[in-house]
Amino acid sequence: MGKAFKLRKPGLLGSPFKILVLNFVAWIVGVLWITPFIGIFMTSIRPFREVVLYGWWALSPLTFTLKNYVDALFNPMFSLGKGILSSFIIAIPSTLIPVGIAALTAYGFARFSLPVKKYLFVTILFLMAVPQQMTIIPIFFLLKNLHLLNTYLGLILVHSSWGIPWITFFLRNYFSLLPVELEEAARVDGATDFQVFRKVVLPLALPGLISASVLQFAWVWNDFFFALMLIFDPNKMVVTQMLPRLKGQYQVDWGLLSSGSIIAMLAPLLIYALFNRYYMRGFRGWAMKR
Amino acid sequence: MAKGVKIVNIWKIFPPKVIALKNINVEIKPGEFFVILGPSGSGKTTLLRIIAGLEIPTKGKIVIGNKEVVSAEDGVFVEPRDRNIGMVFQNWALYPHMTAYENIAFPLRLKKLPEDEIRRRVKKVAEALGIADLLNRKPAHMSGGQQQRVAVARALVKQPDVLLLDEPFSNLDARIRVTAREFVKEIQKKLGITTILVTHDQADAFAVGDRVMVLRRGEVQQVGIPEELYNNPANIFIANFIGDPPMNIYKLPTSHKIVESLGIPSEIGKEYGEVFIGIRPDEAVALEPTSEGHLEGKVVIVEYVGSRRYAKVDVGDGLSLRVLLECNADHGDQVKIKVYKLHVFASEGKRLTTITY
Repeated sequence: MGKAFKLRKPGLLGSPFKILVLNFVAWIVGVLWITPFIGIFMTSIRPFREVVLYGWWALSPLTFTLKNYVDALFNPMFSLGKGILSSFIIAIPSTLIPVGIAALTAYGFARFSLPVKKYLFVTILFLMAVPQQMTIIPIFFLLKNLHLLNTYLGLILVHSSWGIPWITFFLRNYFSLLPVELEEAARVDGATDFQVFRKVVLPLALPGLISASVLQFAWVWNDFFFALMLIFDPNKMVVTQMLPRLKGQYQVDWGLLSSGSIIAMLAPLLIYALFNRYYMRGFRGWAMKR
Repeated sequence: MAKGVKIVNIWKIFPPKVIALKNINVEIKPGEFFVILGPSGSGKTTLLRIIAGLEIPTKGKIVIGNKEVVSAEDGVFVEPRDRNIGMVFQNWALYPHMTAYENIAFPLRLKKLPEDEIRRRVKKVAEALGIADLLNRKPAHMSGGQQQRVAVARALVKQPDVLLLDEPFSNLDARIRVTAREFVKEIQKKLGITTILVTHDQADAFAVGDRVMVLRRGEVQQVGIPEELYNNPANIFIANFIGDPPMNIYKLPTSHKIVESLGIPSEIGKEYGEVFIGIRPDEAVALEPTSEGHLEGKVVIVEYVGSRRYAKVDVGDGLSLRVLLECNADHGDQVKIKVYKLHVFASEGKRLTTITY
């Protein structure tokens, strides 16, 4: 509730009635948003029997157990731990490669002039709207011909190229907000174009680079579709592919499934928490007008 | 070390048809402190940026020392990094992610000098500019004056042939400005480095400049030492632009009684129906009504500027002159105005004559 009073700046909200309505809506949305998560969390830390008999919302009896987590991590058939490892092997290069390439592309779009720059940029924006499902068949055959099907490298390349356009768009806007005088000062100080980029632009754009990286990492980590289509060796499967397999063949073990989901979402959550400060700064910078 | 700068027939046209600079020609001598003065939109910063290589002229060429650095006609363009110039930007453009030390060391790092050489040179320039104790701070933790010194240090550390300063004082408080001017002038004289400064502030220009060039809408109005610009303004624009408090200027028919009582040469009266007359507030005095003088009038207001008193005197016909007050008159009192110097300009603006009484 403390927040509500903070908002009460003159001219911003005005009457207490408005504040009431705003709070009401905010709380409704918040509760709707978080309820499924609470459900998953409660299911994951209780014995399956208890959840099935009384529902996850029942508070008595309440037995706390880590059995689901242990089972999920060390399932002899489908090791979630292995899936997490695969996900890291895929997600880290699939973040670094496109952010690196897109940073160069974006700087070109932001600061240099080339003949058809505007049309090129519009084309990139336009192609961003194409859904994954539309591209998967050509991608599948491309990887097949390159003998990259069912390999980490293949999936990394697909994720990287999928990430480059939106990161280019994101970073171009970020770069064009940086004060151009700093780059001019560096040129006068004796820097080549690439040195200007590496020593002045990149360090200044760090919040933007981190924002883009966090988003791209989360996106690659959470991806199910590309992985499902391009990786089919159970030893190489990523965590999102492992999850549905946890549900069992004859009956659905919700406890196992929900603990697995929570384990799977830990990595992007941790990354977000770790870089939260930069991440927010990156977005604030992005929203700022020059 | 010091090299001259030749600016030859420089034109700059921003498409489609904004003419920022019109045929600029000037030669800046080695070791000179040269000031480009002009109101906003006069093209002064564009000219500086062309010298730096951040902008390319549409026509004309720039020669630093004996080396042509840009020539639209010969197709020559030397990159800013190869011109050996130092530049201080209006907002100083310090790299916010680096400490003062790293900022100053940056140009030397790019030259790949050995680390101990860098340390020696940064220390030397920092001591000369009195910022040796700030070297570990980042720009965000420095005052405006300190940031400016770091920016000057960064420009000087590579021992450039020419130092360019773009409105270096405009972001400083009035009080620090005075010290900053002195400091820049002192450093410039000590190092003997050719310096070009751009400003819109005549006080800045006159405080530091050996010579001043006045630009207006991309055209050179006058180039000269400060006294020359003050004493013999080439046209009505300069007369109006330079001097504080500003010159009293009125456009009057040559038959007007004020013009007659000031005794303008008869050949001007014959040739021109109308002229501008200009009287600097510091070159005319208001005296007791019984004294001898050129004009009579009534005091409207009395103002104190520093130790001086100025009176605004209504001389009839809706004309009023601000002059030095040298009697005990207050508002409402009759006074006589004695003029020491009168500037006369043709009605299209060019200077006709200056009369000293």
